[in-house]
Amino acid sequence: METNPAILLLIGTAVLAVTAVFLWPEKGILSRWQQGRQMTDRARREDALKHIYKCEQKGRRASVESIAGALHISTNDVAELLGDMQTSHLLHIHSDNITLTSEGMESALHIIRAHRLWERYLAEKTGFSESDWHSQAELQEHQLTPEAADALAAQLGHPTHDPHGDPIPNAAGSYVYHGGQPLNELAADQPARIVHLEDEPEAVYAQLVAEGLYPGQTVRLIESNSTRIRFWANGNEHVLAPIVARNISVRPLPAVVEEETAVSEKDHGTRLSDLPLGETAEVIRISPNCRGAERRRFMDLGILPGTAITAEMRSPSGQPTAYRIRDAIIALRPNQANYIYVKQV
Amino acid sequence: MTTVNPTVNPNDILQTAESLRWEIGPEFHEQLMEGIYTEAAKLADRAVTRPEEKPRFDLDRTIDKIVTSRVWGFPMMILLFTVVFWLTISGANVPSSLLATLLIDKTVPLLHQGADFLRLPWWLSGLLIDGMYLGTAWVISVMLPPMAIFFPLFTLLEDFGYLPRVAFNLDNMFRKSGAHGKQALSMMMGFGCNAAGVVATRIIDSPRERLIAIITNNFALCNGRWPTQILIASIFIGGLVPAYLGGLISALSVVGIALLGVFFSFVVSWGLSRTMLKGEVSTFSLELPPYRPPRIWQTIYTSVIDRTLIVLWRAIVFALPAGAAIWLSANITIGGVSIAEHLISFLNPFALLIGLNGVILVAYIVAIPANEIVIPTVLMLTVLVTGTDAGAGAGVMFELDSQADTMALFSAGGWTLLTAVNLMLFSLLHNPCSTTIYTIYKETGSKKWTAVAALLPLAMGFVVTFFVAQIWRLFAG
Amino acid sequence: METKLKTPQPTASGCEGCPMHNAGNLRKLGVNMENSDFVIALAGNPNTGKSTVFNALTGLRQHTGNWPGKTVARAEGGFSYGDKQYKIVDLPGTYSLLSTSLDEEVARDFILFGQPDVTVIVVDATRLERNLNLVLQVLEITDRAVVCLNLIDEARRHKLQVDERRLARDLGVPVVPTAARQGEGLQDLLQAIHEVATGQTVGKPYRAKSESPAIKRALARLVPQIEAAFPGLPNARWVALRLLDGDERLMQAVRQGELGDLTRPELVMLPEAAANNRLIPLEVAS
Repeated sequence: METNPAILLLIGTAVLAVTAVFLWPEKGILSRWQQGRQMTDRARREDALKHIYKCEQKGRRASVESIAGALHISTNDVAELLGDMQTSHLLHIHSDNITLTSEGMESALHIIRAHRLWERYLAEKTGFSESDWHSQAELQEHQLTPEAADALAAQLGHPTHDPHGDPIPNAAGSYVYHGGQPLNELAADQPARIVHLEDEPEAVYAQLVAEGLYPGQTVRLIESNSTRIRFWANGNEHVLAPIVARNISVRPLPAVVEEETAVSEKDHGTRLSDLPLGETAEVIRISPNCRGAERRRFMDLGILPGTAITAEMRSPSGQPTAYRIRDAIIALRPNQANYIYVKQV
Repeated sequence: MTTVNPTVNPNDILQTAESLRWEIGPEFHEQLMEGIYTEAAKLADRAVTRPEEKPRFDLDRTIDKIVTSRVWGFPMMILLFTVVFWLTISGANVPSSLLATLLIDKTVPLLHQGADFLRLPWWLSGLLIDGMYLGTAWVISVMLPPMAIFFPLFTLLEDFGYLPRVAFNLDNMFRKSGAHGKQALSMMMGFGCNAAGVVATRIIDSPRERLIAIITNNFALCNGRWPTQILIASIFIGGLVPAYLGGLISALSVVGIALLGVFFSFVVSWGLSRTMLKGEVSTFSLELPPYRPPRIWQTIYTSVIDRTLIVLWRAIVFALPAGAAIWLSANITIGGVSIAEHLISFLNPFALLIGLNGVILVAYIVAIPANEIVIPTVLMLTVLVTGTDAGAGAGVMFELDSQADTMALFSAGGWTLLTAVNLMLFSLLHNPCSTTIYTIYKETGSKKWTAVAALLPLAMGFVVTFFVAQIWRLFAG
Repeated sequence: METKLKTPQPTASGCEGCPMHNAGNLRKLGVNMENSDFVIALAGNPNTGKSTVFNALTGLRQHTGNWPGKTVARAEGGFSYGDKQYKIVDLPGTYSLLSTSLDEEVARDFILFGQPDVTVIVVDATRLERNLNLVLQVLEITDRAVVCLNLIDEARRHKLQVDERRLARDLGVPVVPTAARQGEGLQDLLQAIHEVATGQTVGKPYRAKSESPAIKRALARLVPQIEAAFPGLPNARWVALRLLDGDERLMQAVRQGELGDLTRPELVMLPEAAANNRLIPLEVAS
């Protein structure tokens, strides 16, 4: 070969580097370009509709500034956008007051439906972690046509709630609101069930997840004042800043359930991954953060409240650990055994 | 006998169900499952009486304690698999050469006599005998004996229940690269045959890890590629050192290539699980079933029928047209030059860039159906290009009995040590054979993943051989 | 082959011993029913020796390994017993019929819409707890079932005593202990299949009772509506549960009236059952 190998090497390296820069998943130019293309006018409109709808639901008033903040665009752009939307009969503007027309309402509900369905889909059918759900759904909500959303709902078994506890509007746009109140407003000692965790802003949601909170959990308020909210949730005491606790909606429980709550508060429970070899423990619950296929797999293996599990042996390479579960020997990795809460017997 | 009561509208039922779903809450499915499992457990407890004395699965746990022990676990594993591979390689040699003698040395002349007797035109007998029959005969004689030994042995270990313990021991290594411990087993099957290895990934019940195992199975150096590695290593690399070391060094270099394949499969698994396969569902659980005494004769019978013959059949189906294509390409001429030579000179510039030559690339293109015929095709094409008088005629695949003859032929074809090294690398890193590609498509049901599994190793092969070639030339001048 | 014939009890059904299967749906599911009188579906958890039972009954050789999840494609075979021809369909091994995996859908659809004359559920006697949940789910769909208590030799080796009579009484269907690898108990299994197929044994399957009050309330509203729309449907309660779970396939079946094909008119006539709002045949296996 006549050509100097050094030059060829340089060219080869350059070609590789350029290919990588282009095609690298998520961070490559190609995928960034695809993401950028999704932020079209339509996506902005839809985000604005969603924002106005959510404000109406919360009894607040959407303003040019609040929309600018939610969409990360300038107020001038918002003004232009709102003008366009008014011409397309999506909303009315009377002085400061922005309200949705029935058409706008319909679109907003579809976007919310698409968003929540997609979150549910990610939670049940994929291996993305919960912190990825919301941001991915923000992109996908603009891609799902109403027909695609219906097909997705059918595939998911027509779910009524997203993984955060938010109701998913059905195809006709109707849903039943969870009717919860902020945790801060709960009377002390009143047992209640978490019906919803607000997933925005992400940092606050991440904090709630880190606390191990989830919709369906029973809680009991211990102390509520302007500096902190102290409460019981599944056997652990939690302390949150009031502004964070506001993002937890709860519904008071009737007296019958109260006794069960009293019992569950005693079961602190440890994680199965902490069970020493040779010891036996009884399952209290599977963490609700373990969803979809993985949760079903656990149940298929017979991991249910009350099941006795014995840690039998550990792999010579350190993990996984093999457990005796209902007379079968099943090996689980620590990150899975973490999902299973047990109490030693 | 449709009996639908016309007074009730089915849609009312669906509407009632829909409104009730909001009342029963989002945990319904989980509650339902828990309810069924709880009742099942209750009924089972009523029906089953357990023995009082404690150590219930005594024997099983004792075996487990040994095969998964920190001290004995890994040595036992290595020993067992060394024995399996040794039995396969040493046991396959004799029947392989017997089959080659029978199917090629003995039968081909007979077939030619028969063709002459029937006064078949030369092109028909060439196409049928030298092309299709010979190609298939190569595949069978190289492939059948090792598979007929390897698969039953593997199946015996599987039936006994040992293999899940291997996965258990190795899982941590695989977890770090985002894969499943059972991938160790599908990889080992891959050393026998990648198509069988891809089928064996069915034992991985977690969707993401199974895809990883399917895509990376090709990095396990399969049966069809071992002969290429061994021949090239013993001629070129073994020839570098004194004769008494030759065997050892060439064996080590082949093992090195196989280990490089394992290394690549870890790297690619790691990359895939963090990029393309991020978000695919992962539900790890590994069952360690009770040990069962293996039933030797039935296992041998079923594994020969099930795995060996099915894989072999597919290979034959793909080898027949490949044999025909090779013969035709060497015998159909355009402007006085055969199609094969046209292709070779067309591919030569690119091939030299990655340290190979046009002959090798053409051989790999026609050998897509079965890697076993790479070396015979390379030899045949080299004769065609160089015009030396070895071999058996245009389009007739052959192997030479002596390494010296082969070396002489390769030298005439302009081969260097770099060509040899890159051929070994390219034999490891190129697209899977068509049987495997077809199997991947059947197993994944996805064109996308089939394309990834086929093209990713090929791209890696081009990149690796390119860099090796250029760096080699930079330093070796 | 000796077939001990019990005197069949008269039932409300006009046709004792007639095949039950839905020929039209079976054709749709790809089963060729020529030359067979009855269709047997073989269900079971993975790794319970289901394929071994299948091979033992049909004489075919499917490879069976010591792995969970061997059978991926559906296998079919045939055998004859007494004077009847049987077609046996090996369904994918599944842990449940509730989830949404393809295998479970295939198995579920076959049992529901194909209405096999007998569904044989192979269970691992050494892991009964893990296996019975599938049995309970199958029994929610059909009462024409036989439980094959396989690997009974393993259970003996581990000194487990399984009281199959008690289990049969609790489940309300015949339970036959077998060790298919050794061929033990297969004659009894064939006999039990034969008796269920010809209607000499009629099951009264166990139905789960431990729903939460909310689910009970929901069922109380939905089940009567389904029964009114599809009189004679043998598994209205199960259909109701699937609808509450948002099962699209079942919703489609309701919408298009496919469920109507699955009704059994003879069951409607039972006054006692109608009074209980549950449709159970009167005769119960001893």
